[in-house]
Amino acid sequence: MNYIDWIILFTTLLLIVIYGTWKSRGSVNIEGYLLGNKSLPWWNVCLSIMATQASAVTFLSTPGQAYEDGMRFLQFYFGLPLAMVILSITAVPLYHRLKVYTAYEYLETRFDLKTRSLAAFFFLMLRGLSVGITIYAPSLVLSTILDWNINITTLFIGTLVMIYTVSGGTKAVSMTQKYQLTIIMGGMIIAGMTAFYKLPDNITFTEAFTMAGEMGKLNLINLSFDLSDRYNIWSGLIGGLFLFLSYFGADQSQVGRYLGGKSVAESRLGLIFNGLLKVPMQFVILYIGILVFVFYQFHQAPVFHNQSLKDKAMETSYAREITDLESTYDKVFEKKQAEARNLIGAIRKEDSESIEKSRKSMSEIQEKEKAIRSQVKEKIAAAIPGANTLDKDYVFITFVMTYLPHGLIGLLLAVVFSAAMASTSSELNSLASTSAVDIYKRSIRPSEDDYHYVKASKWFTAGWAVFGMLFASLANQAENLIQYVNIIGSLFYGTILGIFLSAFYLTYIKSNAVFIAALLAEAVILYCYFFTKVAFLLYNIIGCVVVVVVGFAIQFVINRQLKKAS
Amino acid sequence: MSIEKEEKPPVFPRWSAWYWLLMIVLAIQIVIYLFITTSF
Repeated sequence: MNYIDWIILFTTLLLIVIYGTWKSRGSVNIEGYLLGNKSLPWWNVCLSIMATQASAVTFLSTPGQAYEDGMRFLQFYFGLPLAMVILSITAVPLYHRLKVYTAYEYLETRFDLKTRSLAAFFFLMLRGLSVGITIYAPSLVLSTILDWNINITTLFIGTLVMIYTVSGGTKAVSMTQKYQLTIIMGGMIIAGMTAFYKLPDNITFTEAFTMAGEMGKLNLINLSFDLSDRYNIWSGLIGGLFLFLSYFGADQSQVGRYLGGKSVAESRLGLIFNGLLKVPMQFVILYIGILVFVFYQFHQAPVFHNQSLKDKAMETSYAREITDLESTYDKVFEKKQAEARNLIGAIRKEDSESIEKSRKSMSEIQEKEKAIRSQVKEKIAAAIPGANTLDKDYVFITFVMTYLPHGLIGLLLAVVFSAAMASTSSELNSLASTSAVDIYKRSIRPSEDDYHYVKASKWFTAGWAVFGMLFASLANQAENLIQYVNIIGSLFYGTILGIFLSAFYLTYIKSNAVFIAALLAEAVILYCYFFTKVAFLLYNIIGCVVVVVVGFAIQFVINRQLKKAS
Repeated sequence: MSIEKEEKPPVFPRWSAWYWLLMIVLAIQIVIYLFITTSF
């Protein structure tokens, strides 16, 4: 980083905050603060939805995912377009017609207050904890790269977001997200193009593509039927469908985005375009990781991408061993580079025998590299007990810091910060909406004026921001906390989806039945988590199915008892 | 009164055309990705 990078980074962030605060000034009623006066056109709805879903982790670790494991992660998103169709038909017109502020408000019209409160409570739990991780995960990587204190980084991101989200509510969130997403996609594409243009020997796009394919990275589609493996087409279509129905239909952080649409048509189009653009967008981000992978066949990749952690290990008695392993890694790289050139030569000549020979050599070299990297990770883990030796999240950012020109480094860092801020602002806004409308206004202080609820919403936004920052600093102390928070999402989404599916489609099930079924579904999920090895992706389906089936059964019993009584 | 009567979709006469477009685009993408997987 030099002064140009710092200027670009801080100017971009400052402009976002100032723009968000200035553009959204003047929200004096609750509809303005929480729904932006329902003034958003479809393209802003679409950008807002995409920016909310794509957190900083998407841009930090997705290229790294492709680098290590190929592109099969793309299949995870195949259920999303299907979910967009279903929600456009059902949820959007229903929410608009009922003029709700939150998804859970609808549940009271359909069922009763206790079901609404239960769903709102589940949401506040899962989203409240995840907002801490949305701040923490990028803070961790950025603090490592920039050599900042992690708590200061967390405070920096959290405070910036809090300023414009508290001030302008949902309008500030949506206004800033369109620029944040533009910066993000622009920056990512520039990084990908840099990786491509730095390839030697005038390697063309097709040759780079073919090389990645020969090395097994273009593993986009897996047709095998295994619902416990999230990286195949069926898990993506079926498991993904349930996950995205729940996320976009019942999670206020997304519902709040399209409720701000000018009309049903604008909200629907926003969702539809999200369905059209999301999968290609993920393809582009994954492919940028592939370009970085191809780049590192011709340039020496770090033996361990988290340079800061490696530097710390080099200050211990393990320094010599790590250095020896690095020397071996360098020698292996020389062979890899030579073989990579052979492979490109064979691809150009379309000599399938030579391609196959080179491919086998490259695979063997890759295995050797993997083995050396494993040993380095072991040494680092021994040198620094408790250190996280997974460095996939650092692959892309290390490439950016090392190979991009000054100016673009600042821009790419602005990308990461922007992504973190975009998701966090949505989450804070949704937490404030649910706290203010579903809990505070509905059950605690129901008879105040609009100005009071706007003020309360601002306090809730600030409160959740502070909670998120505190949680992020706690997460720093206990790495496993992150795992638990990711698990919490899986534990609740299925049940929430089951409640909403019953609400939308299954008029037979009434309030008491769905409430008891939801509690039982949670019990089943918790049992699966603690006592079985069922894959997380299935929790959504299990929770949803249990709510529906048990809801039907309980309603049947209730109806019979009512019939007998009458 | 149904939403479709109140709000016409842009470009197409019915909302179902947009939904079909979404499904067709997804199907085309899956075919393209399958081609990439098997050919490269």
